[in-house]
Amino acid sequence: MSNNGFEHNDDQPNAVLRRRVLGWLVGVINLAVLGGIVAPVLGFISSPANWRQRRKEWIPVLDESRLRPGETLSVNYQVPIQDGYTNAQRKYSVYLYRRLDGSVVAFDPSCPHLGCRVEFRERKQRYICPCHGGVFDADGNLVSGPPPTGLTKLPVRVDAGKIWIRRV
Amino acid sequence: MAHLIEKTVEREPTPSRSDGQPMEPVSPRQEAGWIGRLRDWIEERTGIFAFAKHHLDEPMPPGVGWWQTLGNLLLTLLIFQFITGFALAMFYAPTPDHAHESVRYIMEEVPLGAFIRGLHHWGSSFIILVVILHILRVFFWGSYKKPRELTWLVGVAIFQVMMAFAFTGYLLIWDQKAYWATVVGTRFASTVPVIGDWLMHFLRGGEEVGALTLTRFYAIHIMLLPVVLVLLTAAHLYLVRRLHIAGPVVPQKGKPQPFYPYQLFRDAVVVMVGVGALVTCALLFKPALYPVADPSGTNFTPRPEWYFLGLYELLKLMPPKLEILGTVVIPGLVALGMILLPWLDRSPSRHPARRMWVIEAGLIVIFLIGTLTLKGILSEHPMPPATSSAVSSTASLPQ
Ligand code: FES
Repeated sequence: MSNNGFEHNDDQPNAVLRRRVLGWLVGVINLAVLGGIVAPVLGFISSPANWRQRRKEWIPVLDESRLRPGETLSVNYQVPIQDGYTNAQRKYSVYLYRRLDGSVVAFDPSCPHLGCRVEFRERKQRYICPCHGGVFDADGNLVSGPPPTGLTKLPVRVDAGKIWIRRV
Repeated sequence: MAHLIEKTVEREPTPSRSDGQPMEPVSPRQEAGWIGRLRDWIEERTGIFAFAKHHLDEPMPPGVGWWQTLGNLLLTLLIFQFITGFALAMFYAPTPDHAHESVRYIMEEVPLGAFIRGLHHWGSSFIILVVILHILRVFFWGSYKKPRELTWLVGVAIFQVMMAFAFTGYLLIWDQKAYWATVVGTRFASTVPVIGDWLMHFLRGGEEVGALTLTRFYAIHIMLLPVVLVLLTAAHLYLVRRLHIAGPVVPQKGKPQPFYPYQLFRDAVVVMVGVGALVTCALLFKPALYPVADPSGTNFTPRPEWYFLGLYELLKLMPPKLEILGTVVIPGLVALGMILLPWLDRSPSRHPARRMWVIEAGLIVIFLIGTLTLKGILSEHPMPPATSSAVSSTASLPQ
């Protein structure tokens, strides 16, 4: 293909150099234009990746008297969160377990493997994850299955007749 | 852009038949009258009729037959997805407050809504099924060999884009199944070393699956992926036509047949059967819509769509602490193997008997994926519904 039948006027001494420089400039300008749009867009769409919810506050979830020694309860509670462009009341749940010595433990129900919600089986006193079969005992320790650790414990305290937890 | 287009037009090589004869310009029709004149007017300016004739006359080597119809079926199914997706988007709202409700509205109140959503829903399964058959055909025929390595590579990219379509589309209905599948699916990203956590937050648009996850997946599903898919499909078709169809492994006796009408007729029959099956599915089986997504929801066993069940079962087999094997390493190796296939298989022969180790390795992978998928399908209800008698009580944060 001979320059589309069109002869470049290359007989002048600087013509070859000029063509090369102009070619480079075309490349540089186009890259700059592309970067001019791609960079801010990437910054824009990746910004939520660094947002974290504020979760410092203690949340009262249950009357202390409702949890008997040796008992595990699943308790739902709501927290106002900012979910993107909306303020939402988001429902969460937590497992509360009162050991026989009276102390209270709170477990995040999301499986430490890949985040499914674990289910407490009262009769067996075991947590079972419906996804890939992770099993935990009533104290949250890993019994079997693919999860890397036991259930995540949440900070908990008992105060003014209520059980309080804090999300982490 | 304009000068780019001009350049392509100018550089278009004089198309020639594979038998070396230059492409005949379509001679002006004898038919007089305004139709003939309009046709000539268009042809003179676009060359479109010569272009179409050239491609319709493409010679098919003897032995090309029903197995080569899958590509056309795929193309048709993709166009169906595009049309039904466009229609569904008119009734759908990608927000946590309205997504589930708008899907329910489509299903129950909009005339033909359940049918259109059925076409889109079952269409995705059909596409995955047909694309797998298409890939297997190319694999066993060895059609990915020189000079068709890039055709294969673009095809692998198209397959990945389809998986991305399936994953992003799944969330949009915002029911329990969609929500939990996405919670788990995005958690995969967090097992990637070093950047995993950032990656998961990037995908979710925040810490948790929520409003921004939905808008992200929606934008990716209806804008980014379709554009990428159209470009890749165009490149794939261009390469298929430029390099001509590979034909049977052992050249057969006989004369080549033109693509139109012989192969196109087979294509049409297969498209009719495939689309017929899809329409039947959409009429008979309403796609499910579970209760609205609920992060605190219980009594729900999250299970992915059938084409991800193999992966799901694989995760069950992974020992603790080695989850990255199941989430990143093994799927990554399978993808890498597909990408590198034309370079792993160096034997110049396309005949299966002369590239035994590739065929055997392929069969083993297919067998393993098949077994895991089957295991997943058979363990449809791995757990009895939860019997936990724990009392729920609701508390809310004093504002
Ligand atoms: S998410 Fe619980 S075992 Fe995988």
